[in-house]
Amino acid sequence: MGLVFTRLFSSLFGNKEARILVLGLDNAGKTTILYRLQMGEVVSTIPTIGFNVETVQYNNIKFQVWDLGGQTSIRPYWRCYFPNTQAIIYVVDSSDTDRLVIAKEEFHAILEEEELKGAVVLIFANKQDLPGALDDAAITEALELHKIKSRQWAIFKTSALKGEGLFEGLDWLSNTLKSGGG
Amino acid sequence: MFSLFYGLWKYMFSKTEFHVLILGIDKAGKTTFLEKLKSTYSNLEGLPPDRIVPTVGLNIGRIEVSNTKLVFWDLGGQPGLRSIWEKYYEEAHAVIYVIDAACPSRFEDSKSALEKVLRNEDLQGAPVLILANKQQDLDEAVSREELARYLDLKKLDERVYMFEAVSAYDGLGIKQSVEWLVEVMERSKRTEMLRARAGLTGPPA
Repeated sequence: MGLVFTRLFSSLFGNKEARILVLGLDNAGKTTILYRLQMGEVVSTIPTIGFNVETVQYNNIKFQVWDLGGQTSIRPYWRCYFPNTQAIIYVVDSSDTDRLVIAKEEFHAILEEEELKGAVVLIFANKQDLPGALDDAAITEALELHKIKSRQWAIFKTSALKGEGLFEGLDWLSNTLKSGGG
Repeated sequence: MFSLFYGLWKYMFSKTEFHVLILGIDKAGKTTFLEKLKSTYSNLEGLPPDRIVPTVGLNIGRIEVSNTKLVFWDLGGQPGLRSIWEKYYEEAHAVIYVIDAACPSRFEDSKSALEKVLRNEDLQGAPVLILANKQQDLDEAVSREELARYLDLKKLDERVYMFEAVSAYDGLGIKQSVEWLVEVMERSKRTEMLRARAGLTGPPA
């Protein structure tokens, strides 16, 4: 299995392209993150119905970033985008403590997906600019990240509004994907 | 007859998989060690040390040594992240504890974190390999004997352990470390216990 992934990754990263899915509950900040990464600025967004897709060139890797709408009714459609995905960025609104349980459940359901077995996982503990936002350790606990034992993961405190933490996360992603991934 | 072939097949193709935790406080060199392991034992390149960033999560390395599969779990060592270490204890066969031997000012922190690891029930009987890392800093790094004296760990006597001087940077001591680990894990009570718990006392399903 490891060999399969090794081959897969080397064939994919010979030309340094990666398909990344940005997932998370509605109002987590996925679209704001996408455009912050792509244009370097904050755009005003409306709830995404469907998806936004942009290419972000960073560290010699061309990230094809898919931002999928997060509302309950459209979450089942996430699955259509799972094949050929190298990484998942899971975005959490760190100040929305009421919905952390749902965020956790959705997250672990995604990890169960066969087609995402080889994807590495990056968690953005977003909205750190808001009062009452939980830090990375608390989000780690709430999402039960320790249950992930067969793939690499990392968590970063981010503020899409201020542009903090996002590129640190991409640094990690590009390093991890280059060194062989999960 | 079938069981004879099955036994032969099993002997030839089945490989035990061991889980090894890489722990230690931040800046000890855990991830650099992991990357060096990867480049030494597999055809993966491994990240060069200057590209390695502080770990805030889990890095995984898979290598194969002779007939044994090793899975390394490298966890972040910053104080806020150490709370997740114990979530990985139950399934670990052994622990590698990395210490920056060139940074005596943090030996105390290292020691208390290690003592906490050793006290944990979930790691009962797990062999511990303590690495005096960063031996490439010749002027500053203390030897493994000195480090052992500094740490003065009473709790160690109850288990299989070894101190080893390594340099994750240039690879010194890596092979000895891995060889020792494989050997002790293969005959440790803990391995038997984990196998029994996984229901693998008989042939693997």
